[in-house]
Amino acid sequence: MPEVLKAPLVVEFPFTRSLGPVQSAFLTGLRERVVLGVRTTDGRVLVPPVEYDPVTAEEIDELVEVAPTGTVTTWAWNPAPRRGQPLATPFAWVLVRLDGADTALLHALDAPGPDAVRTGMRVRVRWAAERSGAITDIACFAPYDGGPDRPTGHGRAFPDAVTGIVVPARLDYTYSPGRAQSDYIHALAERRTVGERCPSCRKVYVPPRGACPTCGIATAEQVEVGPRGTVTTFCIVNIKAKNLDVEVPYVYAHIALDGADLALHARIGGVPYDQVRMGLRVEPVWTEGARYPDHYRPTGEPDAAYETYKELL
Amino acid sequence: MTSAEAPGPRDVALVAFAQTDHRRSTAESSEVELLMPVLHDVLAQTGLRTADIGFTCSGSSDYLAGRAFSFTLALDGVGAWPPISESHVEMDGAWALYEAWTKLLTEDADTALVYSYGKCSPGSVRDVLTRQLDPYYVAPLWPDAVALAALQAQALIDAGHTDERALAAIGARSRADATANPHAQLKGRVPQGEHVVRPLRTGDCPPVGDGAAAVILAAGERARRLCARPAWIRGIDHRTEAHSLGVRDLTDSPSTRLAAERAGAFERPVDIAELHAPFSSQEVVLRRALRLDDSVCVNPSGGALAANPVMAAGLIRIGEAAARIHRGTCDRALAHATSGPCLQQNLVAVLEGDPR
Repeated sequence: MPEVLKAPLVVEFPFTRSLGPVQSAFLTGLRERVVLGVRTTDGRVLVPPVEYDPVTAEEIDELVEVAPTGTVTTWAWNPAPRRGQPLATPFAWVLVRLDGADTALLHALDAPGPDAVRTGMRVRVRWAAERSGAITDIACFAPYDGGPDRPTGHGRAFPDAVTGIVVPARLDYTYSPGRAQSDYIHALAERRTVGERCPSCRKVYVPPRGACPTCGIATAEQVEVGPRGTVTTFCIVNIKAKNLDVEVPYVYAHIALDGADLALHARIGGVPYDQVRMGLRVEPVWTEGARYPDHYRPTGEPDAAYETYKELL
Repeated sequence: MTSAEAPGPRDVALVAFAQTDHRRSTAESSEVELLMPVLHDVLAQTGLRTADIGFTCSGSSDYLAGRAFSFTLALDGVGAWPPISESHVEMDGAWALYEAWTKLLTEDADTALVYSYGKCSPGSVRDVLTRQLDPYYVAPLWPDAVALAALQAQALIDAGHTDERALAAIGARSRADATANPHAQLKGRVPQGEHVVRPLRTGDCPPVGDGAAAVILAAGERARRLCARPAWIRGIDHRTEAHSLGVRDLTDSPSTRLAAERAGAFERPVDIAELHAPFSSQEVVLRRALRLDDSVCVNPSGGALAANPVMAAGLIRIGEAAARIHRGTCDRALAHATSGPCLQQNLVAVLEGDPR
């Protein structure tokens, strides 16, 4: 068995989210160093506040300012902070019930060590130097020796309320394509295209994924296909994709390689775009150092008869 | 919902269960290559072919392996042509089983194939799971799965429900029981280790690994023809709690208790309980919510502390409980599955064998 292929894969995206009126007021308040909660129908004050009562699902919007001081209701010492977490040095995760609130907020507590943290300890918000209207406007909590801090007396009406947040997210993976696709990629490195035959229906799948999607059984018998093939259907691309070094218009086609029972897709080159047609016979064009064909070009053979590829559209 | 209601809905049973060996990495296999052996196993146990299955439902999450639409690729292993009646949940396979059970109750189908898989090895599952959290107030802080479980564990310790020593004993018992489970990933004597996030130590946390599982459900007489001793689903229910951790009492699981009530779990004692508690501290919460005393054998398979293929570990709890009924070593079992941080959502099923 050839070596298992691996490659780093980063999935990274900024989530742009709009805010409801209560979330907007809360995050705008954080920007202004004010913590706002919301009162439920039974009179409890929720911090962080939500748009709907978590018990009755009623819409709630009565904002209440609470203190930036509070009490730890539970904690967990994090000896090895991870990417994106509020502090880069060891810290305690805490749920904090702020003075004036009935529920607890999750955040980090900056403390010298686990011996300095206990449930019931008093803490105070440490504001971030730069604030934009996000939960991270609270840099963290810090130990605090005292009673409830006085609210600022600010109501809900902060001008220039934030209406949305942009939250970047990044996850790192080590991707492995599995046995069948590894074999396919290894063969491509030798400029060969291999498919796999279903032991039941005898169809040859290219690229192989290890299973016959019709029969639901494993494929294993390797079959070399191509290199030539037939355009079974195509489209003309008129809009240039970002970072793509190909002039438009160009043709993207389904190509049934000789011996394959499934068409793969690739760009057609070496022929004006308006001369590409169903049945056109093509062959791969490799470029130096590439791990797959750059594009396919006409072979000059007569076109294939429709009957020979009509099942492969 | 329970056997007490009349006229009752048709009886539905688990008639076959299979799981992979769970391993730290299956880099040599794609998802479908990992999954296919268990699909073929349950079909072979019942003599059914794909074309005989009335409904197919799966549970998985593309975030685990970072592979978009992996569940559609996994369908290659089912053989979905001619087109089959099929569905997918972005949850543990236990919830796929729930959907299949309701489908069978509607009499739209007599048999169902349910499967799930989790390939945790390509990514960092601790961090991946932060993406299921409240995106406004919580996810931007990246609190990982161990951190959130540790907050719950500390709350339990503060409440006097457990201590670090008792938690370690849960992990040790689970891995000792797992020595009898050929599929388990972590078994035997395992060092309790250092704090990962205090108060949870390595031994309180599940192993990270890959695996897959499949079951077949059948209704009424069809079940009796497919299995010598079907595991009848006497009740099944799932409930969820508020998503904000600070709103919940982390030392309790009212959603589990309510699901258990609705599933009829408290009507009579069970012989065994398979609890989906990825962290030792969560077993403490679940035992209290389900009123399980020491007379009930909890997690004879070793549970999620011995193998935790995320998205399959809950379905495996139901499968393990059913397999004991199939083998005749158990007459009435409780199976539980969880999803979300700190036992946010919980599913309880009660399974019974025919009287012997």
